[in-house]
Amino acid sequence: MQNAINQLVGSANQIILGKDHKIRLALCCLLARGHLLIEDIPGVGKTTLAHTLAKLLGLHYQRIQFTSDILPADILGASVFDAKNLEFNFHPGPVFNQVVLADEINRATPKAQSALLEAMEEHQVTVEGKTYPLPQPFFVIATQNPSHQIGTFPLPESQLDRFLMRIELGYPDAAAERTLLAGENRHRLIETLPVVMPPEALQKIQHAVTQVFVSDALLDYCQALIVFTRESSEYPCGLSPRGGLALLRAAKAWAFMAQRDAVIPEDLQAVLAAVAGHRLRSGNPNSDATIAPLLKVAIH
Amino acid sequence: MDLKNLMNAHPNVLIFLLSSIGLIVFPHISHIPTSIFVFFYVLLFWRFIGLWEPGYLPGKWLLLLLGVCGIALLYSQHQGLFGRDAGTRLFLVALSLKLMEIKSERDLYLISFLAFIVAASQFLYEQNLLMAAYILIVCCALLATLVCINSRDPQPFVALKTASVIVVQALPIAVVLFILFPRVEAPRWMLLNDKQQSRSGLSDSMEPGSISDLGLSDELVFRVKFAGDMPPPAQRYWRGPVLAHTDGKRWTRSANRDFEKFMDQPKFKGLRYQYTLLMEPHDKNWVFALDLPTEYAQPLSRNAHYQLISTENPDKRAEYKVVSYPDYNTGFITRTEYENATQMPGAPSARIKMLVEQLQGFSIPPEQFIKHLLNHFRKEDFHYTLTPPQMEQNPIETFLFETRYGFCSHYASAFVYLMRVANIPARVVTGYQGGEFNTVGNFLEIRQADAHAWAEVWLENKGWVRVDPTAAIAPERIEKNFNLDELALGSVIRFAPVSDNALTASRWLKQAHQLWRNVDYNWQRWVINYNSLNQSKFLSSLGVDNIKLMMYWMIGCIGVITAILSWMLLRQKQKATDRILRIYNRFCQKLAKRGLTRDVAEGERDFAERVKAKLPERSSEIGQITDVFIKLRYGRVSTPEDLKQFVQWVKLFKV
Repeated sequence: MQNAINQLVGSANQIILGKDHKIRLALCCLLARGHLLIEDIPGVGKTTLAHTLAKLLGLHYQRIQFTSDILPADILGASVFDAKNLEFNFHPGPVFNQVVLADEINRATPKAQSALLEAMEEHQVTVEGKTYPLPQPFFVIATQNPSHQIGTFPLPESQLDRFLMRIELGYPDAAAERTLLAGENRHRLIETLPVVMPPEALQKIQHAVTQVFVSDALLDYCQALIVFTRESSEYPCGLSPRGGLALLRAAKAWAFMAQRDAVIPEDLQAVLAAVAGHRLRSGNPNSDATIAPLLKVAIH
Repeated sequence: MDLKNLMNAHPNVLIFLLSSIGLIVFPHISHIPTSIFVFFYVLLFWRFIGLWEPGYLPGKWLLLLLGVCGIALLYSQHQGLFGRDAGTRLFLVALSLKLMEIKSERDLYLISFLAFIVAASQFLYEQNLLMAAYILIVCCALLATLVCINSRDPQPFVALKTASVIVVQALPIAVVLFILFPRVEAPRWMLLNDKQQSRSGLSDSMEPGSISDLGLSDELVFRVKFAGDMPPPAQRYWRGPVLAHTDGKRWTRSANRDFEKFMDQPKFKGLRYQYTLLMEPHDKNWVFALDLPTEYAQPLSRNAHYQLISTENPDKRAEYKVVSYPDYNTGFITRTEYENATQMPGAPSARIKMLVEQLQGFSIPPEQFIKHLLNHFRKEDFHYTLTPPQMEQNPIETFLFETRYGFCSHYASAFVYLMRVANIPARVVTGYQGGEFNTVGNFLEIRQADAHAWAEVWLENKGWVRVDPTAAIAPERIEKNFNLDELALGSVIRFAPVSDNALTASRWLKQAHQLWRNVDYNWQRWVINYNSLNQSKFLSSLGVDNIKLMMYWMIGCIGVITAILSWMLLRQKQKATDRILRIYNRFCQKLAKRGLTRDVAEGERDFAERVKAKLPERSSEIGQITDVFIKLRYGRVSTPEDLKQFVQWVKLFKV
């Protein structure tokens, strides 16, 4: 299993250059059965990352481009009247895929955004009173532009909370940029990628992640972090219990990826920015800056 | 936090406070008037109702009226505020009125402090061990309410636990202050206003019948601890007032007793008994010593009747060291003494004369006559009882010829009277006889039930000789202690041994009872009786003989205790971070010497990586230690060997 993980990270690194940590975080989110939100300016490789992951995992992949006039039916699907059989047939929308890339999610209206809510949380879709299960595994990668850009609807807090992680990609460093500029077309490269981790293997790993051991000492530290967010004046709003659970879930996946069977404080710290950054609503768009005070909380 | 918010958040705090106040005041029931007691509890109950129905609490005018009522109630009992009773009751009324106007958090504190004062005032009335334990427990509950108010923690059990920890921590300091703090004699004026508590005891007169009341009282009179051997029960006569004068019914001390004997030099021989007397508070300055005391220190003196008298106030518990010899010879008799000891209320009747004649009282030596008379009591149909029939007229004659039921004073008075008829100097001695031996504490307890009266006869060459006619009729009364429960039945007392079964069953109970009395004895002796004199005695035996040294010792002891307590507190905190962490911290300290300090928020692995880069030659050891630490602290399974290895590696690790 560890081989597959390393191979996957290695292959992704060949497509998206110089972003090893972000790729690992994205994979970690996936292994923890969470949804991922990538936030950055256009053109830094958000879509490419999503596409690469889907390809390497051999999952069905569909992209939904969110626009200001997109409707829930465009995402979930709709019943269409079949004139031949004289009945309504449900035509599943793009959400019925294993990996859904919701591109520029904050360009859509809140109504359309909320259509994704049930799908993300319940792994099912209800259209016209009928509930349809979504395929397994189900993984939403959403990208969004920084909300100060023109024509964006900031995601409501409830929906932000449903993303296990939010990551920022940022510009590549000079060496990576140079290779990128000199290299081949990325899209063509993606097409040639092999399936490194088939869905069965992924599900097995996802299960193994839940078995990672968490000691009392670590829970103490985790609680100290949560309590700090609630009591410190740095944050207008502390971590919710769901936030705490998410933190632990992500840390388990991170520990698993590092080939450990128990979580250590470094695992929590590694995923802290991605998991807690968007939940603390500090007004600071940079997650690393947001959680800087948290990283000063004593471990013992 | 404002009081209203506090109360809304934690209504329990007030319930807790009111209940503990109710418990604190309750033991006052025995010494405050019912009216004030009822006044207090009505207001407390009212306040309780007010918790749920705040509308029922009194308004300003009603409160004023209540205040006036309280003052009137106090005024009706006392016309001033001085004295123990008036002061205590003033505090009680003030506390009850304050309960009705809890407006701010400050009021809660005020009420708690008032309640502490009321709790302490209990000790002005009773100082026994049980009461001390009770007060300590309820004070603990009150302290818990303070903990509740301060910590905003409404959980009673958590608060109680904290409060008891505080109390236990305070105990060593209390002990040091108790032993070393300069003791001031309680100012007498404080208690002067109050009525003397009436205490029953031997009186300075005797009318056959008056001692029968005493016989039923279980009240402790004094305790005796012997240094060395104890006299046999038949010699345990504790001498009290000597009654020589009689009007035929009533026996009193002779009026001119103070002039009876000078230059008195009784001779002592035989066994010497040395003992310590612990007298309970008393209303007479008599000290009951074993017949006959010879060595005693100030403030004791021996009067002409060989009775010990103390010049100290008998109101307090007092301890005396005395030496007695049961074998003695008082020598000559003075003229006054002789006259007093042969005084008659009038000419004896024909029946009496006939009896003395019949016993050859006029013809044989006194020793023989005594023998005959005792034999008479023994052979004729005389009975020992604590509830004899009434003898209004001529009690001695009635007793001797008609009823023949009586107890010690009947026998003693009849015996002395008959002796005097035969012209032998005789007198009645009152006091106590016997005493129950406490096997646990090794001391004798003498109770009011042990009150006794016997006779003393002056014989040529022997001086005053003790004759106990009661011993003739009921030798068991002298030989062993009788059962109080049997006495209460009012029947003729049987001294027959109790059956074995009942004996074993009651032995257990008796032992427990004795154990308790021993604890109480030590409490009275070492704690209550620890006055300035005993303190200076005790401290000078430790080499602390002036007040300056005493203060140094006190400050030093308190300093040491505080240091120990704070050290324990710090240790406790350290204990919370477990052993593994302590060892790891030792490892970090070793690295810190090289300037490689671990940040508190730095993960152990990150730290190890950082340190390895700085100390490449030690990287394998650092890696080992860190790995095993992570395994021990965060891992799923770790073996004792891991821990051993971890300890070993950290010990060997050197930078």
